[in-house]
Amino acid sequence: MNKIILGLKTASAKAIAFALLTASLLASQVALAAVHNISLTAEVLPNGQYGYKRGDKAVIPGPTLFVKQGDTVIVTVTNNTDKPAGFKVPGLSAASAAQAAPNGGTLSYTFTATRTGAYPYYGEGQQLLGLFGAVVVDRADGKAESFVDGDGAVKSVRTSDLSKQFVLFMVGSTFWATEISKTGIETPLWTNPTLGAMENDVVRFHVLSIGPGHTFHLHAHRWLEQGTTSVIDTRLMADVADSHTFTVKAGTGVGAGDWQYHCHLFSHMEAGMHGSFKVYSTKGPNQGTGNSIAGASPYGAIFGNTSTDAGLVTFVISDEPGMWFRSARSETIFSVTGSTRSLEVIPPGSSVNFIMADTNTVHTMTSLLWPSGAGNPSNGHHSNNGNGKSRGRGTAITEHASMPFDQTRAYKGGGIVKLTTPGLYVFTCKVHPYMFGAVIVDDPDTEGLDLGDTINLATGIVNLPTSSDLATRLLRTFFIATAPNNWQNFSSPAPWKITYPGVPVRITGGAVANLSDVLTARYGNDMVLTPQFSPAVPGVGEVWVDTQFEKTAGKTKPGTITVVDTSNWKVSRKIALPQINMNNPHNMWTNRDQSVVYQTQWFDNKLTLINQKTGALIKNIRVGEAPAHVMTRPDNDDITVTNNGEDGISLIPAGTTEVSQMLPTQKSGQQATNPHGHWISADGTQVVTPNIFTNDVGFYDLNSGAILERTPTGENAPGAHPIAIAMMPDSSKYYAANLLHHSVSVLDRNGALKKTINLIADYNPIDGTIQDRDGDGQATVGILPIQLPVSPDGRSVVVANMGESIIVIDTLTDRVAKMLPCDAGCHGANFGAKKGGGYYAYVTSKFSNELIVVDPDPNNDGNLSDAMIAGRIPLVSDSSVPSDDQVSSLAGYGGQGVLAIPNVYNSWVKNLPGEWKEQLTAAQQDPSLR
Amino acid sequence: MKYQHSDAVGDFFASDHLRYSPVAFSFERFCRGLALPSALCLTMLFLPVQESVAAEHQIEMAAEQLEDGVLAYRMVEHKVDKVNITSRYSKQATVPGPTIVLTEGDKVRLTIRNGITMSPDQQVSVHVHGVHYNILSDGSLKIINKIDNEGAYPDHGGHFYTYIWDVAPGTAGTWPYHDHNFETHNGAEDRGLYGAVIVNPASGTVTASNGSSISNVPIASIKKDYVLYLSDDAFWGMEIDGATRQQTPLGANPLLSANSGDNVRFHLIAMGTYLNRFQLEGYQWVDPGTTRLINSKDIGPLENHAFTIKALGSANYMNANFSRKLMGMKGSFVVTQ
Repeated sequence: MNKIILGLKTASAKAIAFALLTASLLASQVALAAVHNISLTAEVLPNGQYGYKRGDKAVIPGPTLFVKQGDTVIVTVTNNTDKPAGFKVPGLSAASAAQAAPNGGTLSYTFTATRTGAYPYYGEGQQLLGLFGAVVVDRADGKAESFVDGDGAVKSVRTSDLSKQFVLFMVGSTFWATEISKTGIETPLWTNPTLGAMENDVVRFHVLSIGPGHTFHLHAHRWLEQGTTSVIDTRLMADVADSHTFTVKAGTGVGAGDWQYHCHLFSHMEAGMHGSFKVYSTKGPNQGTGNSIAGASPYGAIFGNTSTDAGLVTFVISDEPGMWFRSARSETIFSVTGSTRSLEVIPPGSSVNFIMADTNTVHTMTSLLWPSGAGNPSNGHHSNNGNGKSRGRGTAITEHASMPFDQTRAYKGGGIVKLTTPGLYVFTCKVHPYMFGAVIVDDPDTEGLDLGDTINLATGIVNLPTSSDLATRLLRTFFIATAPNNWQNFSSPAPWKITYPGVPVRITGGAVANLSDVLTARYGNDMVLTPQFSPAVPGVGEVWVDTQFEKTAGKTKPGTITVVDTSNWKVSRKIALPQINMNNPHNMWTNRDQSVVYQTQWFDNKLTLINQKTGALIKNIRVGEAPAHVMTRPDNDDITVTNNGEDGISLIPAGTTEVSQMLPTQKSGQQATNPHGHWISADGTQVVTPNIFTNDVGFYDLNSGAILERTPTGENAPGAHPIAIAMMPDSSKYYAANLLHHSVSVLDRNGALKKTINLIADYNPIDGTIQDRDGDGQATVGILPIQLPVSPDGRSVVVANMGESIIVIDTLTDRVAKMLPCDAGCHGANFGAKKGGGYYAYVTSKFSNELIVVDPDPNNDGNLSDAMIAGRIPLVSDSSVPSDDQVSSLAGYGGQGVLAIPNVYNSWVKNLPGEWKEQLTAAQQDPSLR
Repeated sequence: MKYQHSDAVGDFFASDHLRYSPVAFSFERFCRGLALPSALCLTMLFLPVQESVAAEHQIEMAAEQLEDGVLAYRMVEHKVDKVNITSRYSKQATVPGPTIVLTEGDKVRLTIRNGITMSPDQQVSVHVHGVHYNILSDGSLKIINKIDNEGAYPDHGGHFYTYIWDVAPGTAGTWPYHDHNFETHNGAEDRGLYGAVIVNPASGTVTASNGSSISNVPIASIKKDYVLYLSDDAFWGMEIDGATRQQTPLGANPLLSANSGDNVRFHLIAMGTYLNRFQLEGYQWVDPGTTRLINSKDIGPLENHAFTIKALGSANYMNANFSRKLMGMKGSFVVTQ
């Protein structure tokens, strides 16, 4: 009947037919409507994910609820998890979600199956971790979706004709599947399974999605878009929740074979979102039984859970400090490690699942290091076409070339990767490069956890022994970054204690050692922290520090701004902005008259305008994903924001509060650059960006939008990761920090590369010794350089290195002049005016709660060899400090962006209003006078 | 022998690759390669054909490297029933690649050559959507299809790969084709290796909107076809003249021109990582497979959306996705009165 209607041309005939259909459906509903009472429980699975249970065990997706149109369904859920568990079916009911309290609470939810089709049911809050399943509402007359046969004929189908049905959930970048046999037996197929069918079987697919959207594509098969006569082979699954049911005749017109199904979003493809629809024939190369093959399972083999099936560990990608890759069973992991929640252990052949379930922006799941054997030696290196366009991915022609794992664009979703080679794997996000998750693939037949003989790094270093200083230093960095209880607390007199897992590990040459003992022996522990002190000479104005990890009671997302008064070196204000749930405030700048502070939210998509005098919110503006740095044009005060999660710079004309355009940072069709910490030329007409995803520095004309130059940095290392730009006051030179290449690139105003300053020339990565190897008379090291401002007078470059050092570079020679110690996670740096002349560099550290004040030239003689730490200022406030929210934890931590007010950089200082100018010396007011 | 196609499934492809000839087109040998009974295999390949209109296409394309790291397909030769129509295409490799216009019932034999010499150990392929082909014409890697690496290595050594498409009834529509094999099993579609296949219905008509009502119009009445690929940062356009069938690459975010009253057909295909929302201001068109008129369409990567309208007035087209619109993903549809 449905087919007849679709074929009718005239409206009146259609109306009559529709009335007839409605009448017949209503009649059958009245006759057949049933009431279903369904009892479910919500459970925690062995890998820490959640699942609904009806029967012997909880499954993902949850049990498929088959009902007929018109039926009433009463669902009760008992919650056996430690989190609230919900239930709702938004596709069938407008009722709000029911909630069951943790640890035994119950809920009841009733809906009527008014419409046919598949609809996701899920529990708000944990749905991306497994609390989801499908309600399938069949027609009362027994008909299912028609299929398109090989000759183009549309064949009607009854549900009794179906050989089998698949429920396929697209969540993150992983398929979760279950199969329903002809007799109604449901078998979980878990992640990215091989879906089996015999050729010419009539198979019904229920494709559903929860969370960020997808497109579903199945090779060589076509089907009808629901409710239309349109033949499609790819279907958009919209954001939040969507569903699509269709029927195919397996292999019709195309024959047997391993036909790939996958998401067609490119980053999701790269993140592993695919499986096979295996159509078997009765003979020939594709001979088989039509059985499906399950994928990696939360019940399979993982650390602490013995099984013969392939297991699955899951990392929740989170905005939460230190837990950016949080194992779904984080408390279990914490009880073993005593520190990190971002480490998992699996046997070879099990898989790692990533799900961006607790974040507001885009990320990548990118290999930072992996066992040398896990990449393909002939094809596994990054390619580089000489245009700064490198792709950090290995070939997949060989089965085991799964490393490096990477995606070309930052995105929302997740990822899944099977790991087969024993050893250590560390994943990061290219946008937020201190987000770390580690996996040890441990061969159960060897003694100790396998770190492997050697590792390869994303920067092109291959076969680095796991016993080397660089390898263990990276491990130490991992255990500090991912464990807030390992951070430096300057507000406590207790020594700095780092808790490492005290487990035996197997390293280079098969040696077995206690991991904690090795790291303690090499890098010490229970270290007494340097006492804090104020600089003898005050600064001018205020220093605003993004204490990006500090948590407050009035919001769920981390981050505050800590304002320090440089006249007395005391915290004068905390700004949390609970009304907008400010999320990971990263970098700041001011307008000309210094009345408005611009604040980026790096784990979000907003730029926030704040009143400088009161700390009050002025406006929250959507700019683009993962906005990193903000800066004004000195010539017209327009605002520029780098969208670190995308491919351009957002422009907001001065005096407006809306993005007018996004300036592309690459030509159309080229790989996205994902710029981070930019700088603007002295005349305001050029912007210079460190292009992280393409490993180059870009020069762009801000008036015309023209791409002027793209200069590769890091001596063509595949993942140099340029992250911040600085500039001589007259734009005669630009400096770029290459985070993973441990170097500073020096470029002229036209973008020509003049020099690469190697910050680890004196460092031996094998034995860790630091001695003068580059012949400059000093032994210095700057591992993982981040911000590197040039002093407003153009004399010095102060480089903050995450590897706990500050490097001062002399701009006359472009050589290292001095090394100073820094705190854990040393990150941000910017200059402000020193009272009476000269400048201070204010240096922040993510994993400490203090601000370091550097005086690069205390006696102002132009010789930087006496550069020194002038003060160490606490960023922790007491209750007397004005604040818009109550600090709840991680007090003073997360120091990243830093901004001195007044802004005394050359071109900007000239525009200061009188009240600020009068506090500066003549040389500070015009640094070019020097 | 390094760059020669591996002979995993019999002698058809191996010998074919070494001695390519337009007439050496043996389904029997092909079927032997698949170890299927000839009758079954032939049934599979020759599902009901509309003899009166079916055409045989011999197509050879090359994948090449453009400046700025962009990769693209170029039409080397296209013969329809042995008539050479190659002059309809751009002489250069283009983004999007050549638009392959077919009719339900046609047969296609498409050979890909690889002119991307920067990666001598990397294949390129053509994976097509919509039409029929067996597993050897999937254009994927062996780790996906479990049979063979179905693409071409750089062709110093004369290497190529040939696909056979059955443009069966029921496959009418606009479909993407793209690489599936370069560097990884995901291919390099995001670097420019993509194009469109237009399968015209055997009926010779399509549904069109004149802004308020719907009618069937002859395909022959369509004055222009616009292929618009929504890549992540721009619309990439290709125009086909209805009379001459000449294809003109239009570049990024092109200006589309038409005369008032003309029937024109839009072929939208998305590609990349973003979800898109297409709008053509002031116009309403038919949502495919329905009798609904719409003025906005959400299109995800590799979805297609084709519609025919009567050009009435100038309008802007755009991708209404927040950041994509700010990036300049929009253009003009200029209608001359």
